[in-house]
Amino acid sequence: MIRLEHVRKTYGDSVAVDDLSFEVPEGDVCVLIGPSGCGKTTTLRMINRLIESSGGLIEVQGRDITGVRPEQLRRHIGYVIQSVGLFPHLTVADNIATVPRLLGWDDARIKPRVSELLELVGLDPGEYARTYPRQLSGGEAQRVGVARALAADPPVLLMDEPFGAVDPLNRERLQAEFARIQRELRKTVIFVTHDVDEAIRLADRIALMRDGRLEQYDTPETLLDHPASKFVHDFMGADRALKRLGRVSVAKVMRTDLETARLSDAGDLDRSACGERRFVYLVDSLGDLRGWVDCLDLDAGHSAENAMTLIDWREASVRPDATLKEALSGMLGLGFRSIAVTDRGRLVGEVTLTAIEAIMNESDTHLADPVKPLEDGELPSRPTDARPDHPAGDPDA
Amino acid sequence: MRTAPSARRVDRVAAMGAAVALAGCTLLPFAEFRVNRIASGTAQPLGAAGVAGFALLALAAVALALAFAPPGRIRSLSMLLAGAALLAMTPWTLGEAAVRLQVGADSIARVSVGAGGWLAFVGGAIVWFAGSRGTSPGVRLFAALAVLAALVMSVSAGGVGQLSLAREYGGQAERFWTLVRQHFVLSGSGLGLGALIGIPLGVAASRNRAVRDATLAVVGVIQTVPSLALLGLLVAPLSAAGFRGIGATPAIIALTLYALLPIVRNTYVGLDGVSPAALDAGRGMGMSPMQLLLRVEAPLALPLVLEGLRAAAVMVIGIAAVTAFVGAGGLGILVFQGWGQQADDLTLLGAVPMVMLAVAADVSIRALAAVAVSPGIREVHQ
Repeated sequence: MIRLEHVRKTYGDSVAVDDLSFEVPEGDVCVLIGPSGCGKTTTLRMINRLIESSGGLIEVQGRDITGVRPEQLRRHIGYVIQSVGLFPHLTVADNIATVPRLLGWDDARIKPRVSELLELVGLDPGEYARTYPRQLSGGEAQRVGVARALAADPPVLLMDEPFGAVDPLNRERLQAEFARIQRELRKTVIFVTHDVDEAIRLADRIALMRDGRLEQYDTPETLLDHPASKFVHDFMGADRALKRLGRVSVAKVMRTDLETARLSDAGDLDRSACGERRFVYLVDSLGDLRGWVDCLDLDAGHSAENAMTLIDWREASVRPDATLKEALSGMLGLGFRSIAVTDRGRLVGEVTLTAIEAIMNESDTHLADPVKPLEDGELPSRPTDARPDHPAGDPDA
Repeated sequence: MRTAPSARRVDRVAAMGAAVALAGCTLLPFAEFRVNRIASGTAQPLGAAGVAGFALLALAAVALALAFAPPGRIRSLSMLLAGAALLAMTPWTLGEAAVRLQVGADSIARVSVGAGGWLAFVGGAIVWFAGSRGTSPGVRLFAALAVLAALVMSVSAGGVGQLSLAREYGGQAERFWTLVRQHFVLSGSGLGLGALIGIPLGVAASRNRAVRDATLAVVGVIQTVPSLALLGLLVAPLSAAGFRGIGATPAIIALTLYALLPIVRNTYVGLDGVSPAALDAGRGMGMSPMQLLLRVEAPLALPLVLEGLRAAAVMVIGIAAVTAFVGAGGLGILVFQGWGQQADDLTLLGAVPMVMLAVAADVSIRALAAVAVSPGIREVHQ
């Protein structure tokens, strides 16, 4: 838990943070957002005392931070920054081991922990542990940055625009992975960003700041639907309905009872294969999506060959951990009212525009809590059988 | 990237080295014959060395051919070997020439190294360097040791002892080694004290802007004072402080002052170049200022600090020659006496070991860097 009470930061006569009070409950993600210079990064850095506050009270896990030595405090707070800041002279494994070493863990404890963390962030320990930061891509580097922050299992995580320097495609993947990790670990997180979509996607609560003051502190839905001021309304943007789709993962609304056929049998398909559906999805022997047959074309008397479209799943499908906003964007790009859902190529479901519309009409309460949209039995990283006629949801792998 | 130079079809560096060696063997006097120590010499061609001379010529030709051979590991290794052989063969061949030329001559007659002999040696070094670029550091180290061993063997076995330089040495071996030791102690003290003072100054400069401006200005000004002038300037304050203005004390002070600039500047630049993100991350993870310095900043600044030490070492070894003027001893004495007596051999007896000291310092600090600098920040070598 993190609690700020009447926190101030002044530099001479100028006020960077003014009378800031809010509380982040255990296990929640609080996103600090606002225009440049609003004091969000200053606020974040006051919590681990990289900047000393000029007044007020800051409590982390129930303890006043001014009563703890700054080094001691920071070793128990994970810290992730936009520029990552990996130590270039150390291997990935040694980078991750930084805080455990500062805390005096022995190597027998550190080594398995490093492997565990690399797996958690989706990097193969065998391949990455001995490499140096300069050999990593931007996305890989930030995965290592997150692993390093989590190394000593701190209850609290401070993240300063962690995905801000990554290209948009990788940013969405990192966001999805962070959501998965957070669902698993339930850290208390303060996350600074200037990207409203990122805030809406990841936050349990958003603290919107302006000129060092808190404008509104509430759930993303409330900020979207009941902005406390014109500033909040304008900052959150006009496309509120669309933004709310950024709160819901594809896995939550996709349907898995699809009509599928083997690609090798596609030539023999006729109208009876379609059932009630528009598309019969074509998969290969591994269950990977290769294309579809459009039943409207079959109805119009075309042969199966002519009704068939072959695609690359990377371009014509979305991942289960993508948001409905991404799915909608994909549909618009393809020009269809539905889009296939694939997990690393394997066909697992389909999202339709109808389902998205239904979600948009639902009340806010059903949409809360975006980082935990899955129910029991849909836990992450569990491989499922690749049976094309029974695609199963495995949204997190 | 390592394969880039050897992937070129013709190795131009090796070709140039071999051409230099060939030119030395054929166009210029390989050795010089003088009737006594200070007489002017008569040029002697490579043929004066007999069979050994033709062997050396053949070796230079082989090295040239190798430069045009198909690129690859084999060619690099062969060039390394050819270069090493040239380096070892040249002194041996010179020794042979000395033995043959002195048969029947007066006992005070001398045979010294001619321009061609020097060129053959330099060409060998270039070919060796060209070959070393395409090989791994381990092979390079092994090859360097092999050259050293071959040199020692050719010097101790052949007629090298008959060359005028060797005879000059033979005449004053004891004094020579005293001077070498003095030179080593003078430059070693200057470098050691320079590092002891310069590295903390560089750290302080990276911490505080005022300290940085003052420090860099002062060490910069010191560097612009000519070495003889500095030694002269030190006399008065040292005398006032109760020290002698001549001898080893002013010499070591001067050498320390000269060593400061590259050490302070490189330490400062190295620390200043550490990425702010790495510092922020280190601090944010709970490193104390000392832990940050030792675990993050020092290893990242190390390549530049070592480069500063290397530059300082080479410079100090050179300036230590001048300190002979204030009675600090060292190899400078041989050089200056040689000039005074117009005895070139004596001058060389001082100059050649100085060059070897400088090269040894350079090579050993580079070797230290190769071991001590993390592979994560090592520059990719050609």
